Amino acid sequence: MTTRFVKTQKEMEGRYEDVWALVDESDETTSWKPDADLSLVGQPAPRQDGAARAAGRVRFTVDVKLAGMLHAAVLRSPAAHGTVRSLDLAAALATPGVRGVIGPESELSLTTRAPLLQAEPAYAGAAIAVVAADTLEAALAGVAALALDLEVLPHLVDMQEGLNEQRFTTDPTDEARGDAEAALAAAAVTIEFALDTPAHVQTPLEPHAAVASWDGDELTAWVSTLGMFAAREELAKAFGLRKDAVRVRTEFVGGGFGAKQGAGFEALAAAELARITGRPVRLVNDRHAEQLDGGRRAATRQTVRLGADRDGTLTAIDADAVVAQGQGGWVMPVLIPAQTLYRCANVRALTFPVKTNLRAQNAFRAPGVMEGTAAFEQAIDELALALNMDPLELRRLNHADVDQVSGLPYSSKQLLACYDRAAELAGWATRDELRKPQPDGLLRGMGCATQIWWGGGGPPSHATVRLDADGNATVITGIQDIGTGTLTSAQIVAAEELGLPLSQVRVVGGDTGPNVYGPVSGGSQTTPSVMPAVRSAAAKVRKTLLQLAGDVFEIAVEDLDLRDGRIRSSDGAIDAEVTEVTGKLGDATIDGSGSRGPNPDGFVVHTFGCQIAQVAVDVGLGEVRVERIVAVHDVGRIVNPLTASSQVEGGVLQGMAFALSEEFIVDPTTGVPVNAHLDDYKIPTIADMPEIIIDYPHVPDANLPTTGTKGLGEPPIIPTAAAIANAFAHATDRRAAALPLTRARVLETLA
Amino acid sequence: MSGYTRPTSVDEALELLTGEGACVLAGGTDLAGQIDRGITAPALLVDLQDAGLGGIERDGDGLRIGAATTLADLAADALAAPYAVLATAAGLAASPLLRNQGTVGGNLCQHTRCWYYRGEEWNCWLGGGDTCFAQIGDHRKHNLEEGECISAHPSDLAPALAVCGATVVVRSLDGEREIPLLDLYRRPTDDNRSLIALARGELVVAVRLPAPPDGSAYLRTGARQAFSFPLVSVAAARRGDSVTLAAAGVANIPRALDPVDPLAGLPGHPQSAWKRKVLATLVERALASL
Amino acid sequence: MEITLEVNGRTYSIAPAGRRLLAVLRDDLELLGTKLACGEGACGACGVLLDGRPVNACLLFAEAAEGHEIVTIEGLSTGRAAAVQAAFVAEDALQCGFCTPGQVVSATVLLERTPHPTREEIHETMAGNLCRCGAYPKIERAILRAAGEA
Repeated sequence: MTTRFVKTQKEMEGRYEDVWALVDESDETTSWKPDADLSLVGQPAPRQDGAARAAGRVRFTVDVKLAGMLHAAVLRSPAAHGTVRSLDLAAALATPGVRGVIGPESELSLTTRAPLLQAEPAYAGAAIAVVAADTLEAALAGVAALALDLEVLPHLVDMQEGLNEQRFTTDPTDEARGDAEAALAAAAVTIEFALDTPAHVQTPLEPHAAVASWDGDELTAWVSTLGMFAAREELAKAFGLRKDAVRVRTEFVGGGFGAKQGAGFEALAAAELARITGRPVRLVNDRHAEQLDGGRRAATRQTVRLGADRDGTLTAIDADAVVAQGQGGWVMPVLIPAQTLYRCANVRALTFPVKTNLRAQNAFRAPGVMEGTAAFEQAIDELALALNMDPLELRRLNHADVDQVSGLPYSSKQLLACYDRAAELAGWATRDELRKPQPDGLLRGMGCATQIWWGGGGPPSHATVRLDADGNATVITGIQDIGTGTLTSAQIVAAEELGLPLSQVRVVGGDTGPNVYGPVSGGSQTTPSVMPAVRSAAAKVRKTLLQLAGDVFEIAVEDLDLRDGRIRSSDGAIDAEVTEVTGKLGDATIDGSGSRGPNPDGFVVHTFGCQIAQVAVDVGLGEVRVERIVAVHDVGRIVNPLTASSQVEGGVLQGMAFALSEEFIVDPTTGVPVNAHLDDYKIPTIADMPEIIIDYPHVPDANLPTTGTKGLGEPPIIPTAAAIANAFAHATDRRAAALPLTRARVLETLA
Repeated sequence: MSGYTRPTSVDEALELLTGEGACVLAGGTDLAGQIDRGITAPALLVDLQDAGLGGIERDGDGLRIGAATTLADLAADALAAPYAVLATAAGLAASPLLRNQGTVGGNLCQHTRCWYYRGEEWNCWLGGGDTCFAQIGDHRKHNLEEGECISAHPSDLAPALAVCGATVVVRSLDGEREIPLLDLYRRPTDDNRSLIALARGELVVAVRLPAPPDGSAYLRTGARQAFSFPLVSVAAARRGDSVTLAAAGVANIPRALDPVDPLAGLPGHPQSAWKRKVLATLVERALASL
Repeated sequence: MEITLEVNGRTYSIAPAGRRLLAVLRDDLELLGTKLACGEGACGACGVLLDGRPVNACLLFAEAAEGHEIVTIEGLSTGRAAAVQAAFVAEDALQCGFCTPGQVVSATVLLERTPHPTREEIHETMAGNLCRCGAYPKIERAILRAAGEA
């Protein structure tokens, strides 16, 4: 095996960095041809762990129970900003059942960049102290005994006020190409559109949770995280441990949608208290803590100015976004749609990351791009209106053939096919029929929106396959399956390559113990990163198996094929079960390890799509009902259409809720969120579900290594809200200045 | 931590309820949340499930609905079916699971969903504090009336029962009284912030209904298509030419509406005035359906 | 003080100590399929059967469940429940799986009462079980499939 280092670019949600990637030059796997005769890939397959999930037998982090385990409770700030005057740690420690307490001043063994606990909490829900006790009730009694005395300080939660006062988490950014201002001045047609988008809480049903247990200087942590290797890294660094002294287990995650990054406060605090008390410690957010401190998509105020020629050619895009960051966090790429969605030479994008007294914003499915699309794609519709053009036609006309920022070609782009297919499925051509008076008195309309996202994945990602004497293969991956069905996709890819039926392939993940690395479940990168590694590992096992079969059957390897669990010779003389070969292994296994190679230079990798929404508006009640969403996304080759459509449906429903009902509301007087519970933060029910029609161009990305797959986690949430808002405008001839389209806002807009 | 007891008769329950910190437990769906958010901390839960307060029976040409009847049972009951407004309201309240737990008496006596009242971070006027945070803060879901508390009444059943002409049977150790449904509620005052007009030791044991109206309807809008509290709801009933209207979500208690001028006395607040349009629409549609 | 609970056909003596049924199921009886998600009856992840009806175990005082028959997801593995679970797997009516036990509880009762539900009946009956992953389209299909209609 010859392995080399290659310098490559790694992308995560639009942030690129140069990294060294391993290239296995002995890897002979070549890409499946677009028309390759695949027996399992592309066929729907139920999840390998579906039965266990349906029976409630799977164990999430919140279900982990260890002998002697303590329960932790967190004292959180009831105010948006304050300073701790007093905190009685001794009283808490003296509470019956309490075994350990940490506060802002405590000497901790962990070292992290940011203080774990806050003496001057800067948002409601900020952690001030943690108590570990025999029972949760005792821990809560300990929290009460802390008798927090907090001096409340002034807060700022209004982003306009923050902008006026120039309070930023990082410097505002000004990105430009060409001269947008001049082009706007010269444009034949211009429009301006402003939109406020709401803060949007991930709200995983399993909250952030961790259980930590020490054995000497070795730490095992069960963490409900989207990145178990990131969690391992963080814990190892924080406690000064070797990586292999930390084992993170994340077999099942009850939803994350971006919120559960790395070890998180929960695992760090649980591990610290476990070290102090010498007992395993469990720390699980209650729902209020989860909604306050689990994370959110930041609220934005965006303004988009567009200029175009009379024929619809975009000549200028000038966009700005004020983002209510909270205390910090990544500045999400809100203006990426403005900068990259269409061909345009003159673009300016200004981003103002305002510091407010809320938790730092974090990732929520297509962070930045989704809320950016909500504004930008409405602006495009406004331009279509000003031009008196069909909105879809305007989008086709301004199709970007190359990446507008780098000038590089796309690795693949089937957006025009997405437009055509979506239009056909939605009945776009006759959409104005919907505007005629309806028997039920509702106003109907149809709107579209375009999606762009990354999702090409990349190295590193590894997989190991072991085939045993029974002809069963185990695929060891570094995947934490957060509900996306990625383990099952890996099962399909491995079985395809091995020529085995699905029933003979089992994929394991959710454990850093085997040290088989997989990426964080974010950025729509898992499938495109992991599948090639799985395929490569399986290909090596297949090769060895066929070599062994050649030995067993005394025939040249080139004359043998492996498919559907049988080894056949080209002359038909041999047609044997795999076990006729593997049976001779005894306790030995045929092993193969594979890794993901780099993406080719000279391309940018993106996913694309188009959604078309049909809505019905009850103008008397201000009620918007989404009747249908057509979603067509170009994500390369689909490995498992069954779980793929689940991803699309989930994204569409979350996007719909962002458009219609979800909004994290902050009390202006106190700066404390008012709806940080599930009773008044309204996520959709089954009765809110529209008809969702899904398709794909089904064109594998020929430039991506070996499986031609791109990611599908983010794409479906991106255009939904914009398509709904555009449909609302088509139905009512009005456009709301903010999302969500609640009854109040709709009535205000229509008044 | 609360103690628990399960009396086997109403009299026993009433006796227990005179104890310091004793609190009625029926379905518990509202009470549990109040306890968890620190709104109340009962010393003793007096569980009514065995006190014989369930069931719907004929009562002359009307009905008697036991206070412990679940919303699900009410929604599905054949005797209640002629009261379309009521069966509809019961079937739209909360969620299917909550309807299997929540009771008629509990639904009528539930506390407001005002996020300042419920939130642990505020001590609002209604909860005994000095400030109605809704009036100076976010009151998009609040009511349309002037007053010291602008919370919105959340019960689906109350307006539905009100337009049916229901009365509430209230018992205490001193005896029984029967009051019109809307008299179960009161405006909060400085010295008594309760929205429920029950004295200590009093218990809602039943709701009585006269003969069914000639026609009735219950219409509502919530924050989503199911499983939400009514933002605004309208109950309407017609007997002959006479129409009765009542609404939830527009005042801090259920409110009777004047069919001629249903918006009278409901000016709204800056962020809640949108409910006026919804109310007008629901009234118009309810009247049209009668 | 100890009370007696009948869960999945077995009798347990437990000390409720003011807790809700959900805490007793999970902490004392190790029945971990029933989930705590919102803790206030707003999501249905803690759905169990109480005398055959789905209820939110997070709101139910453990003492109040005494004398009633409780069935959790662990007690639902045969007959119609098995058919529902098989249909959930076949239609991919689950993603992360956290809400799934509650969904299965409600769907099983729905089909017991209404063997051939309409789409509207499914929406009405399943509206108390939230799924943040958005498996709703497939939950609907799974129920129709279990009803023999898909």
